[in-house]
Amino acid sequence: MALTRRNFVRTVGVGAAGALTSSFIGARGRENLVWSALEMPVHAVEPGMIVISSNENPMGPGPKVLEAIRAAFGADGSRPGRYSGSARNLIDTLAQKHGVKPENIVLGCGSTQILRTVTHVFTAKDRPLVATIPTYEECADYATLMGNKVVGVPLNSDFMPDLDRFADASKGAGLVFYCNPSNPSSTFVGAKATRDFVAKVTRESPETTILVDEAYFEYVTNPDHETFIPLAVQNPRVIVARTFSKAYGMAGLRIGYAVGHAESIKKMAEWDAGTGTSSLNVLAMHAAIAAVEQGEEFITKERGRNASVRDFAMKWFADRGMKPTDSQANFMFVNVGRPCKEFRDACRAKKVVVARDFPPFEKTHCRIAFGTMEEMQKAVKVFAEVLGKPATAAA
Amino acid sequence: MLRTRRGFFDVITGGGSSGGTAALLAARGHEAYVAELQAQRRTARPPLPPGVSEIRLSSNENPLGPGRKVLEAIEKKFPEAGRYPFNSTPADSNLVAAIASLHKVKPENVVLGAGSQEILKNAVRAFTSPQRGLVTASPTFENPTSTVKRLGHPVKEVPVDSEFRLDAGGMLAAAPGAGLVFFNNPNNPTATVHGAKTVADFVAGVRKASPETVILIDEAYHEYVTDPAYATAVPLALETPNVIVARTFSKAYGMAGMRIGYGLGRAETIKQLARFKMPYNISVFGVAAALAALDDPAYLAAESRRNTEVRDFTVKVLQELGCTCTPSQGNFLFVDVHRPAKDFRDACAKHGVMVGRDFPPFEKTHARISIGTMQEMRKAADVFRGVLKPVTAAGRQEGLWR
Repeated sequence: MALTRRNFVRTVGVGAAGALTSSFIGARGRENLVWSALEMPVHAVEPGMIVISSNENPMGPGPKVLEAIRAAFGADGSRPGRYSGSARNLIDTLAQKHGVKPENIVLGCGSTQILRTVTHVFTAKDRPLVATIPTYEECADYATLMGNKVVGVPLNSDFMPDLDRFADASKGAGLVFYCNPSNPSSTFVGAKATRDFVAKVTRESPETTILVDEAYFEYVTNPDHETFIPLAVQNPRVIVARTFSKAYGMAGLRIGYAVGHAESIKKMAEWDAGTGTSSLNVLAMHAAIAAVEQGEEFITKERGRNASVRDFAMKWFADRGMKPTDSQANFMFVNVGRPCKEFRDACRAKKVVVARDFPPFEKTHCRIAFGTMEEMQKAVKVFAEVLGKPATAAA
Repeated sequence: MLRTRRGFFDVITGGGSSGGTAALLAARGHEAYVAELQAQRRTARPPLPPGVSEIRLSSNENPLGPGRKVLEAIEKKFPEAGRYPFNSTPADSNLVAAIASLHKVKPENVVLGAGSQEILKNAVRAFTSPQRGLVTASPTFENPTSTVKRLGHPVKEVPVDSEFRLDAGGMLAAAPGAGLVFFNNPNNPTATVHGAKTVADFVAGVRKASPETVILIDEAYHEYVTDPAYATAVPLALETPNVIVARTFSKAYGMAGMRIGYGLGRAETIKQLARFKMPYNISVFGVAAALAALDDPAYLAAESRRNTEVRDFTVKVLQELGCTCTPSQGNFLFVDVHRPAKDFRDACAKHGVMVGRDFPPFEKTHARISIGTMQEMRKAADVFRGVLKPVTAAGRQEGLWR
């Protein structure tokens, strides 16, 4: 498999599974580009493009959130000049929302900061990170940066984690990254299966911490669905990550948080906490408070909107013999029968931006986020043109 | 236990529930911890008399904020609030390009931080190790010190000299074998600055004595310096391996709440630092705000002039009260108040004037006072006159006050 800059995950044999391929950290594509000024495209997105590459909510935040941002300027417009003391207010608001105590919550600059902090605190030279291949790479990238091992567990043929194998691989791990629904596969593990997985890991490897990343939680429509926040506040070995970047439509604000046992949260906060004087901007904190206070209606509506678009987009591909993975998120992973790059470049030439490569599936699969219905109706016309032509490279 | 946003401060003021709060705050980084504590102290004290409003002179902020053009730029980005910063127009890469252009360097010479604090933290993470520690000053901005302590890597804190300047000679002597040297110029909290020659000699000395050591020069207060002997170390950082200059939009640009800073240096040095950068660390609004600010140099120049004028006024007021300030080159003063900073701070707070926290080892004598607006400082001056007087009456040696 071709090596790329980010391809640095160690291959680790996991029991009977033998040596696993481990290029899932391979190419971060667009998202990775911001890591390095050397590779940054200026004007990456041109006006008029349909951007369905980054699993954003295309509707953005609600009007109350925007009003709160404007109010955060202060009466004389000076407040952005002040270090913000709003972190506590946001923590209290979130504690109330989830029925937990303030000491169960730590804020982050997006869930990115949360993922990095958890990785820093819970992995070590002799305590690896364990994650599926592929999954969201933030934890693996950071573990690698620290020189800590990363163990990858392949998904099964339904693009679901093989939970027995995942649990076996987790023995002795410092941290298990459990993204549910997962990115980029968009698939989802039900509540009972997740509970059993957590119980098994906790039983067989009591020193291992499990990070349940619920970034796409709000988009799940499957009734076998529950948050692991109640478990996390009881069990120091379980942490839940949440974000305002997805269903809340606030990816541009950079705010996320972790919920967990006070002991775990304290360890995280001691290492790197997002507060008004470090990484969290004042507008984001005011926006996030307003986002919670606007009520569940906003999320219910967004979940419904996304589900309609998801049904439409998934059916479009399924009707053409390209059945996507069983998406429970605001994106799908679909076999386009050609290298993702070829599909992506062809779409981009027609002003539709789809996601980067996700090894080891970059030869066949593409991740496509759900824009608005109008955007997706336009996008599928582009897909039809692009897919109507035979692939130029062997898939 | 659970409180609404609006109810929170009232509950704290009411007392009784501060135990959990203190525990939570204790879990945070030092600066954050202090700032949040300040926020609480502000609300926890008895209400101010009618007509007296709070004047915050504790955090070295630009009291006017970022200006109308910046706020308009933020509002224009409302439609892109849901986009990641690399998908917005302009994107974070455009901000990198604009900063590069400002300093006449290439994008590869620039790395963005969520405030310059991220640059400082990441420099400690990138360049120190259990074998190669941090060399810093005392007192100075403590973010690198607290970060290195959290990592458990060694630290040497070199006291400032008798004139409250960084002891460049002492820091040079401590540098061999260090992973990182932190050189805050102007230095917070002492407000003093070193001229260009001292900085160049210091850098050359460290390069010669310990070429593997990285030198981080924090120029957070650069725009406020008026000393003609001073010059930015940016050209030095571009021509010298292992030298990084940190800058921020939090001070003169009036955008502390937006969390934007950056590091400048040679491409190979910046690359090392950028490995630790948090992805997508600047918000869509931060990108737009910083670009608008860079496009308005007149605003920055006016802020520098304003600060100098108010700084001169405040220094004079304190001097008349017998309290000598170090020669300030920032938007704050480090002043000998002849009493513990806490006593001075608490006395001022009763009148709504919030000054800086303790800065050991000078907490028994010196306070840090940020420069507010002229109107604020006139009010603060009245408070200082009242607060500093009783000590004279309490029998201080008369000579002290001349």
